[in-house]
Amino acid sequence: MSEHADAAGLIERSAAAFAGGVPEAPADDGFFGPASVAWRISGDLSAPVAGLRALLLQALHPLAMAGVDQHSDWRADPVGRLAATSGYLAITTFGERARAERAAARVRRIHERVRGVDGVTGQEYCASDPALLLWVHAALVESNVVARNLFGTPLTDEDADRYIEEMVVAAQLVGVPAELVPDSVAALDRYLASVRPRLRCTPAARESTAYVLDPPGLDEEVAEIWQDIREAVLGSLPSWAADSYGYQVPELTAGRRAEIRQALGVLDAVFLGEPGVLEARQRITLRMRQTASHA
Amino acid sequence: MRRSLRALAAVTAGAIAAAGVAALVRRRIGGLRFQRGMAAAQLAVRGGLRYAGSAPRLFAAAGEQRQRLRTDLAMQTADDIAATLGTMKGVMVKLGQMASYVDEGLAPSVRRTLSRLQDSVPPMSPELAAGVIAEELGAPPERLFARWDPEPIAAASIGQVHRAITPDGLAVAVKVQYPGIAEMMAADLDNVSLLRRMLRVTAPSQDVEGLVAELRERVLEELDYRREAANQQRLHRYFAGHPTISVPAVVPELSTRRVVTSELVTGARFADVLGWDARQRDLAGETLYRFVFRSLYEVHAFNGDPHPGNYLFHGDGKVTFLDFGMVKHFTDTDLLPLMDMARTLCVDDDPGRFRASLEEAGFLVPGAPLSDAQVVDHLAVFYQLIREPAAVTVTGEYASAVVRRFFDVRSPVAQYARIPRSYVILQRINLGLFALLGEMKATANWRAVAEEIWPFMEVPPSTPMGVAEQPWLAARPSLDAISA
Repeated sequence: MSEHADAAGLIERSAAAFAGGVPEAPADDGFFGPASVAWRISGDLSAPVAGLRALLLQALHPLAMAGVDQHSDWRADPVGRLAATSGYLAITTFGERARAERAAARVRRIHERVRGVDGVTGQEYCASDPALLLWVHAALVESNVVARNLFGTPLTDEDADRYIEEMVVAAQLVGVPAELVPDSVAALDRYLASVRPRLRCTPAARESTAYVLDPPGLDEEVAEIWQDIREAVLGSLPSWAADSYGYQVPELTAGRRAEIRQALGVLDAVFLGEPGVLEARQRITLRMRQTASHA
Repeated sequence: MRRSLRALAAVTAGAIAAAGVAALVRRRIGGLRFQRGMAAAQLAVRGGLRYAGSAPRLFAAAGEQRQRLRTDLAMQTADDIAATLGTMKGVMVKLGQMASYVDEGLAPSVRRTLSRLQDSVPPMSPELAAGVIAEELGAPPERLFARWDPEPIAAASIGQVHRAITPDGLAVAVKVQYPGIAEMMAADLDNVSLLRRMLRVTAPSQDVEGLVAELRERVLEELDYRREAANQQRLHRYFAGHPTISVPAVVPELSTRRVVTSELVTGARFADVLGWDARQRDLAGETLYRFVFRSLYEVHAFNGDPHPGNYLFHGDGKVTFLDFGMVKHFTDTDLLPLMDMARTLCVDDDPGRFRASLEEAGFLVPGAPLSDAQVVDHLAVFYQLIREPAAVTVTGEYASAVVRRFFDVRSPVAQYARIPRSYVILQRINLGLFALLGEMKATANWRAVAEEIWPFMEVPPSTPMGVAEQPWLAARPSLDAISA
């Protein structure tokens, strides 16, 4: 693991990226808007579990993983890499349309250059391939629903469908044609099942996910909380995915889930203590309330 | 470092909370660890006072508070309460308040996290607060009160305070608890494995079970306002007719588990008193001292939350005491050793017997390889105000010295010193009362005042305030009478 930079500053930089992504005086409501399910569920305590679970699923696609493995600087700056993703998600969720489009265009440009041959499968890949982008998108969307249902405020079936439909535009922003993107729980499940035969755990997937599940250099107490998050992530994975990694999945009893929620609550309080996070959340709340009162 | 943590964690309720909080949110800042911050004796007592300046706990002076309350972000539903204070956040807010006296000892990031958490709690909307009143008292506030101010005048730790006028015309302060908060915090405290694990990380040599139990007990007590109302009513009855000490009466028919209604009192705040002339500050200080020790020795009760926001000052030594959520009750068996310690050291000047009474009460490991002189030398600072019958000015330096001695781990005595659990909260006298008196630079012959109050002495009044107390002393009710 010595080739990896440590994860010090993970909370601080993720928080700054989030706060910076929530505009102060926006010209428009962005691609989702204050009435969306996406906004309503954005501050859920389960978000860290959802994010890490998504990474574990995404990494199981050998070509998606190869792109990260061969082109990303994650080993040198893992925290910067994760913070950049947090910032991108905040901007596309809460930012004005123009800013979200600029951020997406930048990502699309970078993806154009991310191409090569995967050493494991021998296949050529390009990060702008809609099939890879769709997998990354679907893994995140599904993880958000699953993590919330297990550790946060569960979504109703109706809201889950609405959320997945809302998120179609996020996939479009990175370059996936809308007609390819699942727009309901059922469609998402069908899509995920259809990709499964192509998934496998490559050495790169094992290396990168081992890092995020147990990042070195965290403060002692955050590291302690991270053990709970790790267990939550593994427990929330589909069993085939956990098997694929070879992880022992601990049973998530009601008692363990309550403890994990507490750990997530403390982590959220730590996050809230970072500069600008409370204000950013208040901006979101106020805009949601204004919208609700005008409706 | 571990030993400093042990001293820290075992010594005060405030410090217990600090350890708990720090265990939860402790972060590394430039290599400066929490324990080191503690042990470095950077614990200026003014920390507690500075904190009080920003803590919106006053019952009067409504105007300034309203500015702080973000009504646009008001909590409108029980879900809003849960999102804001559920899943450990309410527990952390409470711990933060308990830890306020050791504020300076906390790492800056911990302090920031706690203060941000407090900032993150907006008021309840008028409808939500009215809903709690209706649920608890059976009718909406407009029907129960002749006048009801729907805007809160202050935030309380787990609720908020509204002004109202009863149908009888009495102006009252109505403290309304956030709906569902008690259940949420109780559930969080029922499941303490996280807290326990993190305390083990922070303080591996510590009696973690004891810490967690004490913490849990104190916080759970505060969740039931009936206990607070009963404490307040007892002290109100006891001090009724006292020339300078006043405790607002509770209105029992308007008080329940989640609502406590008491007389509305207005007065100057602690910060104002600091600008008063010396005589006025001295009188106010004498009243604080008399209140603390008369409560302790005579009512067997100690308010573990000697927070400057809980006092209202009226001049000429008159003080109103508010907020009795964290009152510790003592038995005769608890109190006897304390009196023995004061008597053997200050009156008899007998180090050997002083040491024996410390050992008997569990403050000192019996048979420790220390001389009696070492023991006296270590602990004398706590008795400095009352060892000699002379006028003494309490200074900020003295208050800081007391706190430093608390966390002094280099003294040879420190490793043999213990604080038995039933006295933990009493240490707030040292972290709280002395800090306040020091900030006020109050001067008095504290020893003479103490002798008036010590049950083992029978001495005539030593000050004009003592003289003025005489009619009250002669007529004051028995403990049985105030408990009725």
